[in-house]
Amino acid sequence: MMRIKLKLFASLGQYLPPGAKQNIAELDISEGMTIAAVLGKVGVPRELVKLVFIDGIHQFPQDIDNRALESGETLAVWPPVAGG
Amino acid sequence: MHGGEKGKLMVVTGSKSLPEQNTFAQFPPGQLSENQSTRYSRHIALSRFGLKGQGRLSDSRVLIIGIGGLGSPIAIYLAAAGVGHLVLADFDRVELSNLQRQIIHTTHDLARLKVESARDHLAALNPDIRITPLARVLDEEELFSEVSQADVIVDATDNFESRFELNRVCVQTKTPLVSGAAIRMEGQVTVFDARREDSPCYRCLYSDEIEEGETCAQVGVLSPLLGIIGGIQATETLKILTSTGDALIGRVIFLDAFGMELRTMKLRRDPSCPVCG
Repeated sequence: MMRIKLKLFASLGQYLPPGAKQNIAELDISEGMTIAAVLGKVGVPRELVKLVFIDGIHQFPQDIDNRALESGETLAVWPPVAGG
Repeated sequence: MHGGEKGKLMVVTGSKSLPEQNTFAQFPPGQLSENQSTRYSRHIALSRFGLKGQGRLSDSRVLIIGIGGLGSPIAIYLAAAGVGHLVLADFDRVELSNLQRQIIHTTHDLARLKVESARDHLAALNPDIRITPLARVLDEEELFSEVSQADVIVDATDNFESRFELNRVCVQTKTPLVSGAAIRMEGQVTVFDARREDSPCYRCLYSDEIEEGETCAQVGVLSPLLGIIGGIQATETLKILTSTGDALIGRVIFLDAFGMELRTMKLRRDPSCPVCG
């Protein structure tokens, strides 16, 4: 197991696990868990997982299913927005 | 109405009783009427902008796609600032439910074409600029033509499909794209500039497999949020037109108005992007 930080912003905040402070939660995850797997574990609907950042850097759409988290990293997700 | 004249602007003093309308046309290139020097005096006084920056604005052409919640403040600021030629594209008409946030339109404009309502508002605000309303969906050829003629494109649309299409043409023509979006109490804004090797494009940010999400009609949007995001878009547009400061390229600003949090995150160009890669 290893520990990461999860930040869910704006309307995604409703999916933060109990114990989260503001929009941040600490999560213990298995090694090798991908971005999609971590977010699936806390119940974020897959169609809302579009704007993903690790340590403040954008992750490409194709990385969501492939990129594994590493210990100490911060995973942040913003909801997709197209309105105007 | 007419476009700004080419060349640097110089203040012409001592001109009397100049009509407010069409003042650019009454002076040779490189000169500014007394009315204009007064109108733009706070830009001219701005040390890193000045007369040169104002001159560049008057020579510029900007295409705004969408004259709704975001397009309203963007168009107002760009017109007030003296952008010489604004092209407004929107096929929609003004509805009562628009007026809570689409501040360029008024109750008197109900049922009018948005681009015509906006044109009248902007012409009253600044008679020096040229405004071209396009009250139709732009087909591929027309979109390509309009984007090619513009110095900057401002994306104020309300759906992913239009955003992807606009992005594709901007990459193709290497035209800067100022992109903003807002819904509920959250917004985002960034700049894509295909003239730069390191700039990502909209398709690097979002996969085009994305489904059309919730609309403002379904989940709502807080009115001034559009002013904040639109104001940043207008700011970035003026900066690009005048080569002032650092454009918001390779960074995206997210605003969560509920917690009033503003965050800047880094964007990268995707080497395997099907549009710009």
